[in-house]
Amino acid sequence: MKERRGYKWLMYGVVAIVLLLPFGKSFGDTTGKIIIFNAGSLTIPLAQMEKDFEAKYPRVDVLREAAGSQKCARKISDLKKPCDIMASADYTVINKLLIPVYASLNIRFATNRLVLCYTDKSRYANEVNAQNWHKILGRKGVVWGHSDPNLDPCGYRALMVLQLAEKYYKIPRLYEHLIANRPKENIRPKSVELVSLLQTGNMDYAWEYRSVAVQHELKFVELPDQINLGNYKYDNFYKQATVKVTGKKPGTFLTMNGKSCTYGVALVKNAPNAEAATAFLQYMLDPQGGLKVLQKMGQPPFIPCRVPTEAMKSLLPKPLQNLVEVKD
Amino acid sequence: MITIRGLNIDLREFQLRNINLEIAENEFFILMGPTGAGKTVLLEAIAGLIPLMSGKILIGEREITGLPPEKRGISIVYQDYALFPHLTVLQNITYGLHFHRIDKTHAEKRLDRLLEVLNLFGLKQRFPVNLSGGEKQRVALARALMVEPKVLLLDEPLSALDPNFREEVRGALKRLHQSSTTTFLMVTHDFVEVLSLAGRAAVMNKGRIEQTGHVKEIFEKPASPFVADFVGMKNLFKASFNETYAMVSGVRIEIGRTVDPSSQYLAVRPEDIIISRNKFSSSMRNNYSGIITQINNQGFYYEIAVQIKDVSFKGLITKGALIELVLEEGIPVYVSFKASAVHVF
Amino acid sequence: MKHEPFFWISVSCGIVIMAFILLPLIQMMSAPSVGMLKETIQDKDVVRSIWLSIYTAGLAALISFVLGTPLAYLLARSAFRGKRLVESIIDLPIAIPHPVVGIAILSVAGKNYWIGQILSELGIRIMGSVTGIVTVLTFVGLPFYLNATKTGFEGISPRLEKVSRSLGASLFSTFFRITFPLAWRSMLIGLIMCCARAISEFGAVVIVAYHPMIAPVMIYERFEAYGLKYSQPVAVWLVSISLILFFLLRILTLHKVKE
Repeated sequence: MKERRGYKWLMYGVVAIVLLLPFGKSFGDTTGKIIIFNAGSLTIPLAQMEKDFEAKYPRVDVLREAAGSQKCARKISDLKKPCDIMASADYTVINKLLIPVYASLNIRFATNRLVLCYTDKSRYANEVNAQNWHKILGRKGVVWGHSDPNLDPCGYRALMVLQLAEKYYKIPRLYEHLIANRPKENIRPKSVELVSLLQTGNMDYAWEYRSVAVQHELKFVELPDQINLGNYKYDNFYKQATVKVTGKKPGTFLTMNGKSCTYGVALVKNAPNAEAATAFLQYMLDPQGGLKVLQKMGQPPFIPCRVPTEAMKSLLPKPLQNLVEVKD
Repeated sequence: MITIRGLNIDLREFQLRNINLEIAENEFFILMGPTGAGKTVLLEAIAGLIPLMSGKILIGEREITGLPPEKRGISIVYQDYALFPHLTVLQNITYGLHFHRIDKTHAEKRLDRLLEVLNLFGLKQRFPVNLSGGEKQRVALARALMVEPKVLLLDEPLSALDPNFREEVRGALKRLHQSSTTTFLMVTHDFVEVLSLAGRAAVMNKGRIEQTGHVKEIFEKPASPFVADFVGMKNLFKASFNETYAMVSGVRIEIGRTVDPSSQYLAVRPEDIIISRNKFSSSMRNNYSGIITQINNQGFYYEIAVQIKDVSFKGLITKGALIELVLEEGIPVYVSFKASAVHVF
Repeated sequence: MKHEPFFWISVSCGIVIMAFILLPLIQMMSAPSVGMLKETIQDKDVVRSIWLSIYTAGLAALISFVLGTPLAYLLARSAFRGKRLVESIIDLPIAIPHPVVGIAILSVAGKNYWIGQILSELGIRIMGSVTGIVTVLTFVGLPFYLNATKTGFEGISPRLEKVSRSLGASLFSTFFRITFPLAWRSMLIGLIMCCARAISEFGAVVIVAYHPMIAPVMIYERFEAYGLKYSQPVAVWLVSISLILFFLLRILTLHKVKE
């Protein structure tokens, strides 16, 4: 009798320990969740980075939410959603919408350029090339689109490419003419949505980052460097393009100026899990870690990553300081 | 009038096999049988509401086998009346006029006559929901006859009615039949209706017709054990026959005539069995003594079961007679019946 | 009068359910200020999007009515092999997650699929169009109309139709004179259910068509871009207008007691 009673309590003890295990926190180990808001074009590289990072730190769970970069910023600033890291397709978005209240760090880590994507089912797919693309986009019946400039940098960058094309090819009113052939229905909030529209044959051409085109195995037209926003040497030429996008409140506006695509990442102030987030950034900005993933996936990284001023460098957590250089 | 030849129906829930029937013009013909025998199926097949697997149906000289229901000129009245709830009594009755070209004055006269015979004048503007069972059935009849059908099919029209309404509507049916040329084909369980309304009848069982003929013939000379049992011949026994008599479990029964050597059964109607306390002499050739084993109250009469050796006979007796004879279970009595009351098949 | 415990349990459950449904709705409806509501309804985009929601839902209901009524009648009246399968298939749209519905329709409508190619040649566009929206809404609303109408037909005794035919009416006449007058209330309720389902659809539509923008998509967009303050008023207007419409339609189904 007594023996059996003891056995019962032992069972209870085991069950209790098993149930309480998940709540136990081991000191000194990186654990918990990391919340990342990232630009749509970083989805596939970040998914790979998540896998690699979680293999190194099995107690960590990386949660990613992809959206256009302005939308990501607004989720932090307006909706006050909890977030540890924001990775933007345009570092200026972080500067304009998050610094200084919601972030004080903005690390530039990669570049990209715009291409015109299509599939072999697209209209005039066998004709299109770097010289005639703008003629084809203007043809009646061609369905082409881009993402929403108010929510996604890829959107306003696509418009900038068109403005620059007008100047480069010296065709007056080319921009107006092309936009007239792109009804509102062909705009989507996130540029990656355009990929599935291309793949199902619902759209003929879409403006995307080269990295995304490569990752999704789409066909694409390479454009001259002067207009593809990919080469910082042409920043002065790019400057000519401007697009007005909505500001923080309905009715207010911001002006975005043409600049080469530079991706930025920020550690959000008052992050729920700053410790683990720093560890993630340590991995992401490592030339053998995250930066290598980006390279493999067709998105040229900055090696090393850059911050604009010495002041910002000193604000970085210690482990990150030797991963960046100061460059304007 | 109605000729059915080799009709077969094979649907998942029910089957009819090799139905052959001839019904004369203006006859009142009744279909009888237990539940599930296929009577309603046959009616609906005649009306064209159920498809046939094979067979022919003719009305007069005209073959109607392939015709849709609306072109057959056959009306149907159901047990649950099936009045259109969203139309008034008058609209229900005149519904068929939308689809038949009938001269207006003629139609009005017919309408008035039907309303009169069925006593429906006061109900013209009422809705079915406000009618009693008997009223509803009379409206259903008026509606069916308004289009002057060649054939009127009735599916147990009286069984949903209260007993007092039943007599009323039964009377109306008889009047309607006699005052028109329509052939009536009715399905029923109730023998009172059969006996009071019909000339000829058919008994159905398991999708087949067992017997057709005049009502009297069916009741008095059933052609098979099933029919005999169905029409209430309670004393039904397997027997071995020998010239003019038969043996049933050691009891000898005089038949008084030679019978078909292939006969296997005999039956006697309970009404033909006389029960008495004392032996009495009569011309009846079958006389036995036995013990009363059961007295069952059947309402208007009593059913007495008498055991004669290994055979149990059932007879009928009125309450008055029961009291007068002082019959009780267990007492010895005498049982007699005529040789001619023995039915052999 | 003393009531049994079962009665009180039922009443309590009823109160809990009413509160569960009403409290969040009342909170949402009373959150925006009157000024905010006025400003919102004066925004042309908002009005256009609410009107688009209503009229695409209406079209979806109409298509369901035309295509669904004969099928509902067939299912109510006949028994055939595989009937259960057909009925289960009809219920499928209810079980499929909404984005999956959108993706499926988009895949079929694109040039990579034979139907999409035919549509493209006919000049019919599904992605980002009113046609596409109505297609999605019909897909999700059909089962509701079909089931309500089928039940309505099942409630009418087939004997009424048989008698009508025996009296000389063709199948069509029987349907219009007998079946329809007795079933129209069920059909109307089916249409209301179909409309209600269609007006509230979001996940499937947003995949097929972001623009033109139906009201639920606008509410979501405003929420994501500007927060609660700017999305609630649109929600309040949509819910209020829908409520009034459905209430009016429901009044039509009240049974007039005839003397």
